Amino acid sequence: MSHLFEHEGADGKGYSQPDPVAPVDNLQIPSSLVRAKLPRWPRLSEPEMVRHYTWLSTRNFGIDTGFYPLGSCTMKHNPRINEVIAQLPGIADIHPLQPEHQIQGTLAIFHEMQDMLGICAGMDAVTLQPVAGAQGEFTAIRCIQEYFRGRGELGRTKVIVPDSAHGTNPASAAMAGFEIIEIPSREDGRIDLDALRAVVGDDTAAMMITNPSTLGVFEPEIAQAADIVHEAGGQMYYDGANFNAILGRTSPGLMGFDAVHYNLHKTFSQPHGGGGPGSGPIGVKSHLAKFLPGPVVKRRPILAGDQLTSVNKEWWYHWHQPENSIGKVQQWHGNSGAVVRCWAYYRRYGRELKTMSEHAVLNANYLRHKIIEEAEKIGVRHLFADGAPVDVVKHEFTISMAPMKEECGIGAMDIAKGLLDMGYMAPTVYFPLIVPECMMVEPTETESKETLDEFAKKFVEVLQEDPDVLHNAPVTTKVRRVDEVYAARNLTLSYPFDE
Amino acid sequence: MVDQLPNLGREKEMLDAMGMSSIDDLFADIPEAVRMTEELPLPPPQSEEEIISDARRLLGANVALGDRVNFLGAGLNRNYVPASVFQLVTRGEFLTSYTPYQPEVSQGMLQAMWEFQTLISELVGLEVANLSVYDGSTAAAEALTCAVRVHNRKAEQKDTVYVSELVPPSRRSVIHNYTQGGGIEVKTLHHNSDGTLNLDSLSQAAGSCGIYVEQPNPLGILDGGLTRVKEIIGENTAFVVGVAPVSLGVIEAPGNYNADIVVGEGQALGSPITYGGPLYGIFACTKTYLRQMPGRIVGRSIDVDDKEAFCLTLSTREQHIRRHRATSNICTNETLIALMGAMHMSLLGPEGLEKLAQRNMAACQLAKQKLSEISTIAIPHRNNSHFNEFVVELPGSAAECIAYLDTQGLIGGFDLSAWYPERKNWLLVSFSDQTKATEIELLAAHLAVWSASLVQGVSA
Repeated sequence: MSHLFEHEGADGKGYSQPDPVAPVDNLQIPSSLVRAKLPRWPRLSEPEMVRHYTWLSTRNFGIDTGFYPLGSCTMKHNPRINEVIAQLPGIADIHPLQPEHQIQGTLAIFHEMQDMLGICAGMDAVTLQPVAGAQGEFTAIRCIQEYFRGRGELGRTKVIVPDSAHGTNPASAAMAGFEIIEIPSREDGRIDLDALRAVVGDDTAAMMITNPSTLGVFEPEIAQAADIVHEAGGQMYYDGANFNAILGRTSPGLMGFDAVHYNLHKTFSQPHGGGGPGSGPIGVKSHLAKFLPGPVVKRRPILAGDQLTSVNKEWWYHWHQPENSIGKVQQWHGNSGAVVRCWAYYRRYGRELKTMSEHAVLNANYLRHKIIEEAEKIGVRHLFADGAPVDVVKHEFTISMAPMKEECGIGAMDIAKGLLDMGYMAPTVYFPLIVPECMMVEPTETESKETLDEFAKKFVEVLQEDPDVLHNAPVTTKVRRVDEVYAARNLTLSYPFDE
Repeated sequence: MVDQLPNLGREKEMLDAMGMSSIDDLFADIPEAVRMTEELPLPPPQSEEEIISDARRLLGANVALGDRVNFLGAGLNRNYVPASVFQLVTRGEFLTSYTPYQPEVSQGMLQAMWEFQTLISELVGLEVANLSVYDGSTAAAEALTCAVRVHNRKAEQKDTVYVSELVPPSRRSVIHNYTQGGGIEVKTLHHNSDGTLNLDSLSQAAGSCGIYVEQPNPLGILDGGLTRVKEIIGENTAFVVGVAPVSLGVIEAPGNYNADIVVGEGQALGSPITYGGPLYGIFACTKTYLRQMPGRIVGRSIDVDDKEAFCLTLSTREQHIRRHRATSNICTNETLIALMGAMHMSLLGPEGLEKLAQRNMAACQLAKQKLSEISTIAIPHRNNSHFNEFVVELPGSAAECIAYLDTQGLIGGFDLSAWYPERKNWLLVSFSDQTKATEIELLAAHLAVWSASLVQGVSA
């Protein structure tokens, strides 16, 4: 165990800095504001700092380390050229308040991304400003809120979410001030149209839903659901977390949605960075476009007097403030670095984005099939149940470990820890909440058949493991099972200097 | 042909194994009525070489700050970030991991974020810090909603918070969007003509749920009066301060003058400006606010062998468990950028931070001295102390001055009429550790020439 704060080198250790441009013995600081005591930061030389963080990195599992089938998170390979591009000074070293003529290249990329995202989702207008999926949800719900306020429909105070929804859906709508109506899913995990009909009315603002659902299942009655909500005067919101499943095959626009967020970091591979940054643009139909956060990028033909750059062959790119904009959700223009990375990713596929989704779905179905086949081969198929009884899934699938839990007390978490011992990241566990002892598996399109074959075998091996071994798993990891209750009861949220 | 798909060309083999005959079988569950029948109207796929070439062409057409002499800041400063930070952060184990739901294989990022929390706690002088929110603006907004959750029951002014009138419209707008859903009224705190907070105006905020001010404020002013804020607003009103983190190498930590919540834009520590994102928002508070704070928190724990281990904690505040009753909808945050911040802070050490702050302040002070020698311009808050930036009052419009400086190869600063429409002649000029004395001389020379031409024009 190495602690950063145990590095207590000599005063002034660290990287050397040039001297100030002027003497600092008479810095003008109000006497009440002179810092009395410097922070207790460590003192490291560069070699020590590099070794500390390299050591930490060896204690962390990423996609580069191994198979990362974390359902709902789309952990696909992150091409490194995107990182190189994001370091170019034309994006890393530009300021959001620079005048338009100095940033035509960035605006051109943003414009291309707005267009591409609109095309893929069947939406009329796009903003790149929201910086994460949850913020995209919130932004779109705010646009819908202002839309209804503009129409004087102030009684539309409720947002409907299925019980299988991502937690961010109800949290985002509640943050915008809406009351949440949760509707139960059918036994097979699909949307219950009768339950939906029972709750819609003139107080309905919107329904938030993802399709394929969090069970990895396409909702065949989505258009009917959209009709029910629209007939009641509500808006349809598409949670784009699962967009990787359907690109080029269908679109939220075709399904009848009015607004959508994209998780660029999932679908277009901005590295997830241990928890962020992400990027959560939204797309809307034309009736919501004037409410988008501003500004958005537009272009017009070149005019005499424009300060042209090599980018301006025909078009001049400029910022545009939507007429009834809800304002800002991030004070600048969103996670531009992520947008540029995702632009590079999109360019790699272009019109063949469909192939990307097809392979995501191919891999998910193949893995599901292989796991069942391997389990049947050795007689352990009865230990788990399908999260949703369907012939085909989309980009992910869910299985319930409830039967195994009943038979030998081994549940989803134990299986997850057993998989860690096999060298894998575990699937998402205990989500969606409607599937008991749920494991949610999303292989993504960037895993080879061999990886999937091997994982299926290992997964079934874990099922046959001695329950005591699984209760004790993991044993091969840097630390063994971590006591989360202890952490909450003995809150130590920073280094205890006095310990 | 796309090159990111290991199973390209093996589709048939995999479909055969499943007893399927075509990829279409996998999408048979999508009703015909909603199927996309046309090809996506997009260009063909590109190779890595073509993409980098296009990226260089497009982004190369931009003017990078480093290509020019730059005085544009307005809250984002072009500080030097050591090379080792950029090298280390590309380690795939960090870069390609996600939220550490499985702590046993995520100890690296968990420990790094626990250390980050400690670095931030020490920096701002508060007991608790989370592992980042999106940026400085959402940090401020989430601090105010947090303050309402904590204080509303006892507050005399229910559902009410106060925000400094100097806070720029962009940040105000974020605050509005985050607070309006809770029916929170955002009232205004006024400032004196010298830019400091008006303490009489502040006294009206006593009994509300919280107040938000910035130190340095958006005009770059360091306000000594803020050390008296807490005694004026009282125990049941949250004192929220937005900071420029580098300044805290010389300026007192707000926790030590009784701030309850400290937020800020972390960017200057660890991250390039990157056109305003990704950045990272700092969020720290006293224990009173802990259970109502947004975002993820790492705690120290033990494993089954009693070995020290780290994991996410207090997750019951969060959306994936609490759903619509969560303290915030935030899920994905800015962990990787916060990690860059932690690396930068580690390399600085306490004295390094102090020196960095002194360099920033010295550049600002030298510039103030040089520009105050020019008789045709004025420095309205000249007697205040400043960090990173100050206002120059011009004899003509700031927009025209910036356009002139642009023709001379300078990014001249920020036209404050964009924030305060009545201030047509206010130019906000920014200086950082990257500002050289010769660059300050150059700015002074150009401002002298431009303003003199204007003054002569007027008198003629």
